[in-house]
Amino acid sequence: MKKQSKVSSDLENTENNFDDIEDVQAPISTAPEDVRKIIEMVWQLEKNRLDRKSFGHISDDILTIIKGVVQ
Amino acid sequence: MKLISISFCNFRSFYGRTPEMFLAVDEVKNTTVIHGNNGVGKTSILNGFTWVLYEKFSAAFASAEQLVNKRAVAEASPGQAVECYVEVTWEHDGKRYRAKRQSRVYRTESDVEAGKTDMFMLVTAGDGRWFVPDQHPDDIINQILPCSLHQYFFFDGERIEKIVRNDKKAEIAEATKMLLGVEVINRSIRHLAEAKRSLEAELRTIGDLEIKKLLKQHNNIESQVEAISKRSFEIQQEIEYQNIFKQEVAGRLRELGAVKELQERRQHLESQKSLLQKQLAKSKDNLQRFISNQGYSVLLSEKNIQFRNIIEKLKDAGGLKSGISREFVINLLNGSKCICGSYLHEHSQARKHVEQWLEKAGSSTVEETAIRMTAQVDEIDKQAVSFWQAVDTEQVRINETRQTLGQIETELQEIKEKLRKNPSEEIRDIEQRVEDIEVKISELIFEQGRNQQQTDTLNIELDDLNKQIAKQKLNEERQLLAQRRITATTDAIDRLSEVKTRQENHFRYSLEKRVQEIFSAISPAPYIPKISDKYELTLMENTLGVEMPVAASTGENQILSLSFISSIIDKVREWSGKKKMLMLPESSTFPIVMDSPFGSLDEISRRHIAKIVPEMANQLVVLVTKTQWRGELEEEIANRVGKEYILIYHSSKPDCEQDYIELRGVRYPLIRQSPNEFEYTEIVEVNRDVE
Repeated sequence: MKKQSKVSSDLENTENNFDDIEDVQAPISTAPEDVRKIIEMVWQLEKNRLDRKSFGHISDDILTIIKGVVQ
Repeated sequence: MKLISISFCNFRSFYGRTPEMFLAVDEVKNTTVIHGNNGVGKTSILNGFTWVLYEKFSAAFASAEQLVNKRAVAEASPGQAVECYVEVTWEHDGKRYRAKRQSRVYRTESDVEAGKTDMFMLVTAGDGRWFVPDQHPDDIINQILPCSLHQYFFFDGERIEKIVRNDKKAEIAEATKMLLGVEVINRSIRHLAEAKRSLEAELRTIGDLEIKKLLKQHNNIESQVEAISKRSFEIQQEIEYQNIFKQEVAGRLRELGAVKELQERRQHLESQKSLLQKQLAKSKDNLQRFISNQGYSVLLSEKNIQFRNIIEKLKDAGGLKSGISREFVINLLNGSKCICGSYLHEHSQARKHVEQWLEKAGSSTVEETAIRMTAQVDEIDKQAVSFWQAVDTEQVRINETRQTLGQIETELQEIKEKLRKNPSEEIRDIEQRVEDIEVKISELIFEQGRNQQQTDTLNIELDDLNKQIAKQKLNEERQLLAQRRITATTDAIDRLSEVKTRQENHFRYSLEKRVQEIFSAISPAPYIPKISDKYELTLMENTLGVEMPVAASTGENQILSLSFISSIIDKVREWSGKKKMLMLPESSTFPIVMDSPFGSLDEISRRHIAKIVPEMANQLVVLVTKTQWRGELEEEIANRVGKEYILIYHSSKPDCEQDYIELRGVRYPLIRQSPNEFEYTEIVEVNRDVE
């Protein structure tokens, strides 16, 4: 990610601002549309399965998400 | 998750259906107090919540399998099903959920047989219409408040210190990670990386693209073809020029009297030679055309004989009868009228006559086809004869032409020899120059032929390359798509890793700070709670500048546990309130349902906690005995109580001691004599309008 260096320097500036939610979320909110969509859909999927013991087929579901978003 | 109500039916000590216990939901008056003596059903209420929501029971819940009220079982006839259920209503994200978990038991002669447990859920979005959700009820509840976190919100206050015990460190770390969304991020990163590997494998199966190499080859060949074509044009011009030049040079011989005739003869022979060469080429073309158009006819003679034999056999067998045709007879029968005008009704004599003709008549279709094919076969036989004649004629012509050409060549060679050996140097010179030009022309013609051959080969290569390029272009699109997907996945992983780092920096420290604040407000000890990078919660003390873990007492651990739970609720609510945080559990409001609160704490700590917990939790339900309630708890919580209930125990013991509690000046019974041989618990709401 090209933004990595900028992101890290931003982080240093706000290190003491513990509750800066905007900053925590910034890598997602500044992401390209398809990347943001992938992350949000994967989060939803992972959250739904948090308490499931088996992770069977989750990778397939994630592949389906990626392929669905990036066409 | 905001709890709205709970009700029971034949659940543990509650006989029949209890009234719906509505819980305090007001922002300030957010606390519900449920009074009851030991063993009357306070723990059953706590477990009622966890049973409906998670099908879990607390550690202290004795004989979980005996869920069904004993009186209800006793009253059932053998074989009859006894139903027991708990129903909980809550609100989340503008929707109201109603969940009911029920279990059935069957009474046998001597025992009770357990049936299955079912879960039902209905949802309404506020318009009053209830519907069955698409998702499984357990999944819905887990999204709102994950099962593994339930013990931090529904707990026994006397045992709450266990959540921070050393052997539970990993569990609380997991729970914290889940609440802060770290677990969701970790799993997302891990599973996205797996997906990325699959995408990379897919990319490998597409293979290395050679499209650039192929296009380069294509361009090379195209420029070669172009160069050859250019050269071909030059050669053509050069040949024409050399021919003119040759004529000019040779023409000079005609001006010299000694060889004038010889030269004229040579010119005549050359024009004849050219004519014959054209004729020879034409004859060869004719021969080719004959072979490709009619050559097949000479190979069919055997098949033609076989065909004629078949026709003969058909004729002999009567298959090809001439005269009246079968189709004609069928038409008459279908029309039910003969050509003579007689009607051919079913079963009539006339019809039978005509039908007999079907036996005798042949099929006109087969006959027509046989005739047509016989004519075609005859034609093929004739073609074979004319083919051989034409070939023979052309062969004769070719032979004659070759012979004449041979004679002309010989004579031309003789003339050349004569001119070469002519005593006149000038004539010899001119002849030499003519010969040189002829050599030159011959070389050019040879080069032209070679180039033509090369062009043909290159064109075949070009066709092949075009096919390969088209195939590769298709693969290129697939490859580009796979690469774009990998790039997006890599970017997602990078960004999630960055969010994880930031979250650790922000959330963990922020949570730690809050736990420290709350702990220090409650506990008189100078200990400092710390949350490690593994999210493990430890109580530390600072001895002479060195941080050391504390061997904490039960009371201190209870304070630490409650501080931790309060901090988590406070911080998650704060973060979720600012912005929708997808990685966090959906609930931004958390209830605390606490049985026997603040068990082992001293008075000061109890007072502090009693003050802090209702402030931190969005909603508090406390289940208390008279002694637990009286004093600092009552004093600190009183102004936050929105709902209050009494659990009245009806004892079957003949001489049971009656007990009472006085609330707002009203005396409520806690223990009463049962009117029958069964003990049971009654839920009564405290009238809070009385002052």
